[in-house]
Amino acid sequence: MIATIAFGLLLLSLVIQIVFVFKKEGGQDSISPWLSLAAGILLLIEIVRRSIAIRFVALTGMFESLVFLACFLAFLIFALQYFKSTKGNRVIPFGATIIAVIFLALASSPLAPSDIKPPVPALQSGWLVLHVSFTFIGEVFFTVGFVSAILQLVGKDEEKRRSYDRITYTSIAVGYPIFTAGALIFGAIWAEKAWGVWWSWDPKETWALITWLTYTAYLHFRLVRKSTSKLVPALVIIGFVIAMFTFFGVNFLLKGLHSYA
Amino acid sequence: MKAFFDKLYNALRSVKLAVVLLVLLALFAIAGGIIPQGKAASYYIEHFSGSGSRIILALALDHVFSSFLFLLVSAIFAINLTVCTFHRLTSEFFKPREKRRHGPDLLHIGLIILLFGGILTSRSRTETFINLRKGDSARLPGGAKLVLVDLKYEQYPDGRPKSWESTVAIDKNPPPEVPAPVLAHEEGGGDTLGTTGFADPTLNNSLSNAKVSNRAPAVSSAAPAAPAIPTDTKAGAGLPSSQTSSVPIAELPQYRIRVNKPLRLKGYSIYQQNWHTEKQVVLKDAMGMQFFLEPGMRETTKDGFVLFMALDTSQSSASAKTANAGAAPVASAVPSAIFLLEQNGKRTVVKAAPGQRIGLFTFDGFVDQPVSGLAVVSDKGYPFVATGFILVILGVFITYIRKLKGILA
Repeated sequence: MIATIAFGLLLLSLVIQIVFVFKKEGGQDSISPWLSLAAGILLLIEIVRRSIAIRFVALTGMFESLVFLACFLAFLIFALQYFKSTKGNRVIPFGATIIAVIFLALASSPLAPSDIKPPVPALQSGWLVLHVSFTFIGEVFFTVGFVSAILQLVGKDEEKRRSYDRITYTSIAVGYPIFTAGALIFGAIWAEKAWGVWWSWDPKETWALITWLTYTAYLHFRLVRKSTSKLVPALVIIGFVIAMFTFFGVNFLLKGLHSYA
Repeated sequence: MKAFFDKLYNALRSVKLAVVLLVLLALFAIAGGIIPQGKAASYYIEHFSGSGSRIILALALDHVFSSFLFLLVSAIFAINLTVCTFHRLTSEFFKPREKRRHGPDLLHIGLIILLFGGILTSRSRTETFINLRKGDSARLPGGAKLVLVDLKYEQYPDGRPKSWESTVAIDKNPPPEVPAPVLAHEEGGGDTLGTTGFADPTLNNSLSNAKVSNRAPAVSSAAPAAPAIPTDTKAGAGLPSSQTSSVPIAELPQYRIRVNKPLRLKGYSIYQQNWHTEKQVVLKDAMGMQFFLEPGMRETTKDGFVLFMALDTSQSSASAKTANAGAAPVASAVPSAIFLLEQNGKRTVVKAAPGQRIGLFTFDGFVDQPVSGLAVVSDKGYPFVATGFILVILGVFITYIRKLKGILA
């Protein structure tokens, strides 16, 4: 119910933003940032409510993961919309809101059962909480980078493309260390604690590594690329597609240790 | 000559080479993530088109992560990383202190140590699985003896596991191993412990050399509360301490092992891997004494023995009953069991359902014995991997997190 209200708020925010995105002049509307913030707070309340019910941080299922992702994305959208200097750029929060709405739509689909289930022994670990939360917070920044990279790729105005390139880079540069810590390092530490092995080339691990390698390649390629290179933003788009495949595709198509996640 | 080495040095430290190697590693990983790994060649021939299977097998994409090409690219990447780190580090030292940025250096050094630790782990890591019932023991590396004092299994109301927990005692100076004697049950002597050596790759106490049964006094069906595990013949309860440990179990240090909470000892760690039940058959003699046998165990008699070979799941007996240490008979589809019976030198294979006679015994039914699955892991790469992780985290955050202000600027 709480997640549904949050979904409604984000949907309303999206509708309001559409009007402003296509207006040639003027800044960010004054309502949608607060709708994003309210949606984020509601989703956080939902996570806390479920956590109290299972007496553990509710981050152990697909529904909870999607709610967490949407929650932090909503907070980041609010930050992007609220802070003065990005008010002029309405398209990136708009694109990120679309993705947040998609996450919540998926959360309400049969793919993500919302039953509240306490975790099985392997999932009862603080390292799991760090692993999942850091990974998703990193991916929230990748989402902004993804939207910005699309705009960078399709944009025709050189100045705007430079501006998008800067936003893309800073998003990835912030998300990258958080993702590295969460997906690879905390994940490996948790695996060692639970199974006695750091790395087992499980499909989820392999695809998380592919995501990391792609973003690492982006960060390095950006150092040596030509400023007009379209491969740089393309790498960010590919990285996000791989990150989403790691999250959804691996769960449904490839079996492994993470089949419950 | 110097020009050649300069060129080589510059090539090996170049960021462009790093990008190419990163993309190559990603492509290999994608192949390994999509193509099922470690199957027989016939699997790929069957599931992929002619040229597809040929490419997979020729490029060793059926075992990408141990293939020559992947290892070669990884090795070049390691060299690139090392040369680049050396070059960067020496350049940074020539800069004024306030202009130095050591985040990338920490990150790269962390990755190098991580790679080294990973190689060491892959070369030296050993993992041995042991299945222990309450009271069972096993030898650990270095000669210490581990005794399973207790095991707990909790379930959620929906049947999913809530927790697996083993309590173990460690005897660091156990007496030397002695061959397990075969005891005649009429003698009333204590059983031997099912002990096994750590080096045994098939380490499984349940099927170890100590092939004699556990026993418990007969319990009438009117007293169903009797324990399923005959602890009176187990370590620390009914055995002379010389057979199990140098000191009584109660005086040994005890540790709890849970999933996600391994026991760290010097040189190795013990992990709670699983919990399961194992079916044992229960035999009852004329005196009403019960004997618990798992597959491969035998009970000797004055004219031979009865050996429980296996469960016969192909056939169920309608008149079967489940023996749960004296529980009331339950009519259910319980498999029969196959025994090897030796009487006066003559051996016969007997298939029996609960309630039937086997030599001097009555086949009293089955009991589900809880078994704790533990993994004993030794990993020399552990400190390197852990150090690598710390440096990578420090390096990656120092390098990039300062960009946070940029995203909102």
